[in-house]
Amino acid sequence: MSGPRGIQEETVLGKAYDARLVRWLWGWVRPHRRLVLLSLMLFICVSAVQLVQPYLIKVAIDNYMVPGRLEGLTTVALLFLAALVGEFIFRFLEIYVMESTGQAVVYDLRTAVFAHLQRLPARFFDRNPVGRLVTRVTTDVESLNEVFASGVVTAAGDLIKLAGIVAVMLWMDVKLALVTFTVVPVMLGLSMFFRLRLRDVYRALRLRLARINAALNESLTGMPLVQLFRRQRRNYREFEALNRSHRDADTHSVWYDSVFSAVVEWVGTLSVALIIWYGGGQIVSEAITFGVLVAFIEYTQRFFQPIRELSTKYTVMQAAMASSERLVALLKEAPEPGAVLPAAAGGSGVAAAAARGRLEFENVWFHYHEGEEVLRGVSFHVDPGEKLAIVGFTGSGKTTLNKLLVRLYEPTSGRILLDGDDIRSLEPRALRRRLGVVLQDSFLFRGTVASNIALDEPSISRERVEAAARAVEADAFIRRLPGGYDHEVRQRGANFSTGQKQLLAFARALAFDPEVLILDEATSSVDPLTESRIQTALAQVTQGRTSIIIAHRLSTIVGADRILVLHKGAVAETGTHRDLLTRGGLYARLYRIQERREQESAGGAAES
Amino acid sequence: MIQEMLARYRGRFLAGGLLLLATNALAAWIPLLLRDAVEALRARPEVATLGRFALFIAAAASVQAIVRTGSRLCVLGASRSIAYDLRNRFFAHLQQLPASFYARHTTGDLMSRAVNDMMSVRSFFGPGLMNLANTAIVYVAALGLMTWISPVLTVAALLPLPFIMLTVQRVSRRLYARSREVQERLAALSEQVQENLSGIHLVKTYSREAEEGDAFNALCDDYRRANLGLARVRGLLVPLMGSLGGAGTLIAVWVGGRLVASGGITLGEFVAFSAYLGMLVWPTVAMGWVINSFQRGAVAMRRLREILDLPTETDDARVDPGITTLRGGIEIRGLTVAREEGGHPALEDLSLRIAPGETVALVGPVGSGKSTLADILPRFVRVPDGTVYLDGHDINTIPLAVLRAHIGYAPQEAFLFSRTLEENIAFGLEEPAPDEVRKAAALSGLDRDLEGFPEGLGTRVGEGGYTLSGGQRQRAALARALVLAPTILILDDSLSSVDAETEQEILGGLEGVTRERTTLLISHRLAAVARADRVVVLDAGKVVEEGTADELLARGGLFAEMARRRSLEEEMEARA
Repeated sequence: MSGPRGIQEETVLGKAYDARLVRWLWGWVRPHRRLVLLSLMLFICVSAVQLVQPYLIKVAIDNYMVPGRLEGLTTVALLFLAALVGEFIFRFLEIYVMESTGQAVVYDLRTAVFAHLQRLPARFFDRNPVGRLVTRVTTDVESLNEVFASGVVTAAGDLIKLAGIVAVMLWMDVKLALVTFTVVPVMLGLSMFFRLRLRDVYRALRLRLARINAALNESLTGMPLVQLFRRQRRNYREFEALNRSHRDADTHSVWYDSVFSAVVEWVGTLSVALIIWYGGGQIVSEAITFGVLVAFIEYTQRFFQPIRELSTKYTVMQAAMASSERLVALLKEAPEPGAVLPAAAGGSGVAAAAARGRLEFENVWFHYHEGEEVLRGVSFHVDPGEKLAIVGFTGSGKTTLNKLLVRLYEPTSGRILLDGDDIRSLEPRALRRRLGVVLQDSFLFRGTVASNIALDEPSISRERVEAAARAVEADAFIRRLPGGYDHEVRQRGANFSTGQKQLLAFARALAFDPEVLILDEATSSVDPLTESRIQTALAQVTQGRTSIIIAHRLSTIVGADRILVLHKGAVAETGTHRDLLTRGGLYARLYRIQERREQESAGGAAES
Repeated sequence: MIQEMLARYRGRFLAGGLLLLATNALAAWIPLLLRDAVEALRARPEVATLGRFALFIAAAASVQAIVRTGSRLCVLGASRSIAYDLRNRFFAHLQQLPASFYARHTTGDLMSRAVNDMMSVRSFFGPGLMNLANTAIVYVAALGLMTWISPVLTVAALLPLPFIMLTVQRVSRRLYARSREVQERLAALSEQVQENLSGIHLVKTYSREAEEGDAFNALCDDYRRANLGLARVRGLLVPLMGSLGGAGTLIAVWVGGRLVASGGITLGEFVAFSAYLGMLVWPTVAMGWVINSFQRGAVAMRRLREILDLPTETDDARVDPGITTLRGGIEIRGLTVAREEGGHPALEDLSLRIAPGETVALVGPVGSGKSTLADILPRFVRVPDGTVYLDGHDINTIPLAVLRAHIGYAPQEAFLFSRTLEENIAFGLEEPAPDEVRKAAALSGLDRDLEGFPEGLGTRVGEGGYTLSGGQRQRAALARALVLAPTILILDDSLSSVDAETEQEILGGLEGVTRERTTLLISHRLAAVARADRVVVLDAGKVVEEGTADELLARGGLFAEMARRRSLEEEMEARA
């Protein structure tokens, strides 16, 4: 979940500019460069109509107010109105176009990152927690959007605007302009100092808030334990300490915030005092007019705004660089290999067309972590149409066989053959299309019941969906749902029971009519009625089809054509139920115990 | 809540208010100085006089900066303290609320109240109140002085204000709706990523990458659209706010210019008037925000109140403070109880007697009432008077603290806190007792795993720490219960993730402990159940069979039937 915990992941900020990353970023902006140019032009238009306003005031004062002329003042007022309307329109357009640019870039990037994630191999997801990857797609991409939204891109525009103000001021009066500019470094230095300080303070604040949230979340989740173990008082003390440290950081931020805003206001007023002092003298010596004095005061205020914002943009840029770095690293991850081996002689295409579904494992070794072998030289084969039951302890490697077969993972050594072709010579997509997989924790996707059976495969008609559902006896319960086959399936199929999910998974397997069926039988218990339905469905789906069943139920195992006992990552025994019983090995021993118990209870039932 | 908090921090709010008055008085003085400076210039004075005006302005600005900082520190600081107080109170209250409350409220809902609503309350008391006061003061001061300079010009300059404000109000409402939409779209988007990545194995197995990508792109498109919708509103709002100052200046130039030219007011007065007009812009903009913050604050406080007003799980008048120790005899007489008030009864007319020190296994299908039966002992589920007795005391008369101090509970869902393993095991101990912790860890069969942990018992668990397997978590939870040396030990399927062989070893090792304690054992494994002195079989909230495991197997009832249906895998595990 990316709620309050997402905050915990603190961004480590470094450089605000990194040529390599900026080039990478530019690669994403380039397709939309016309939009960027347009918004830059709009920004210049906004600046122009803004800058003309103080000048109009100057004209009004010098040409009309001071000499006492009334005619012509209305013209100035109308020009001022035009400037205001222009500012309104250009501003609106600028904001909209800028946002469109940012959104277009971010859309491209986000969908590319997601598409890339889909292509990454299963091993990548073992190393990277989901929460962190969600942050990449959301927060990191979003922080690049900030680059546009906060107008870092218009920083060029800001510079032009500043140059414009400087030019106008110098043009009106060089000396007064130079005197006024002395305040600029003070403003720049102060805002830089405070912003950077504030950034650190806010970071500390976020961290402490994240701690509070984590503690709260944990306490709420473990509340029965807190109450049962009577931890309330100590828990409160711990929470209060976190809360207090957050309040202190918060108060600290208030202090910096207050001082910062007051200081900015202060420097602004000081510059007014400076203009009055020096400019006043100039008026006395008739070097400048009253209008110039007033216009200067106005221009100075407008001059400060982009300077104050410079530090904000610096921070945004830093965050964007950090995010870019992480995104670049993610996009660099190698995608899942396709067909890594050349197709076998004769062409796998031909083999696929004549596919009959013979599977073979040839001395397969596998480990997730170095030194912890999960499979140790597993060899076996399944003939076309044969039903093979695999039994073994938890951790014996049964589920791993599954994962290797669909090429989520590659064997460390050895190979797996489907109709004589090494599965590494097949495109994963093509391979997976030939295998039907029904997993223990039957997973439903968001959508409808029908879309979960057909998986949006266009070649599967609604008739075929319903026929498949009928065959596995899922039709009855589906029809009882509001909307029937169009009933909404929520995230992970939360609104369906385990048994229902399994039946839908069977229907899916049947609708796809795969060459090979791989079934991980559920261990969890369901009610007897559903249980019998599942058994019927199982019989339907496996009928005449190559099937590998990771079995947990005796009836399934006995019903299989052949049984393979997997023990500690190796094949312990294999044979038919009868073979294995006569051999008197591990399987036979287990079966006898089970059988005796069944007889005992049957006998007991007869007595009572 | 509002009055209480204002009263508690009245000193700071009062000081903040006075400082706000002072800062605005200084701010209002500066335009007057400007006016005098311009007047003096027109009268052609010495440059020295100008220096004096400049100095005054600088001095006023300096004092104002300090006073402004002070006012903000007082009010905003108070709002932070209020948030701190309320958060503490909220947390303390949550800890006292009964289990039935947690059945009704999700963690997400409570988190949102504690985090988001708390922020709204803080905004209400901090920037909300401060800007309200500031706006009022600025308006009174600036409007008064403007009217003093020229009533006609004041009316003219303020004429566009109501129209702009009304438009701003209307647009702001849309802004709120649009921001919400953006938030919701982003949430939908990240939820999709979360779901997709959690099930990435399945996505790959079923070759759903392209479809998942399409679905995601559609969500991204929705999100982009929502953002552009927001940009349209923001694009209106930003220049609209800007026009507040611009429109006033326009009229001041047009009408004021005429007044100056015709000698109605002086140039200095015009400059001062323009400055006052400028002073009004920000507070006017802030007003819209203040109204919004007050509305949200009110809603947030109501949402906090909803929780704070709920009764806590305290002892009532029936409690007998004389009960301080328990021996662990349990008697249940005709108990019918539902997990939720008015719900379907989880236990129906159930009667059961358990002697002190006896070990009883509770067996039954899912939903038969085993866990409910376990939950009534620590009073997570409240029972009617006269139905459950401990050592002859009605359970409702036993002080809650005493009752829980005598119970050790190891649940199936072994939740551990993100602390060290040692702290987790010692969770219920008042004083640190390292020896006891080690002994409990050994009893739970956790000691052999310790070597594998980076720092033994000092290893941090979970988030950011070492991740334990399901079985290790359960054994740690068992140790957490054992370390208390409880009179009543409840093992609610507490070793289900441990393999059968290890479970047998652990239960064997526990025999010394369970012999002296009343033990309730809930398990699905026959071998574990067989260790109990007595097996009680529950079905649909009723006791259907009772006896030793062998007796029940021989009887061929529900217990025998359940034993027969167990999976082969369990058999393999247990016997191989």
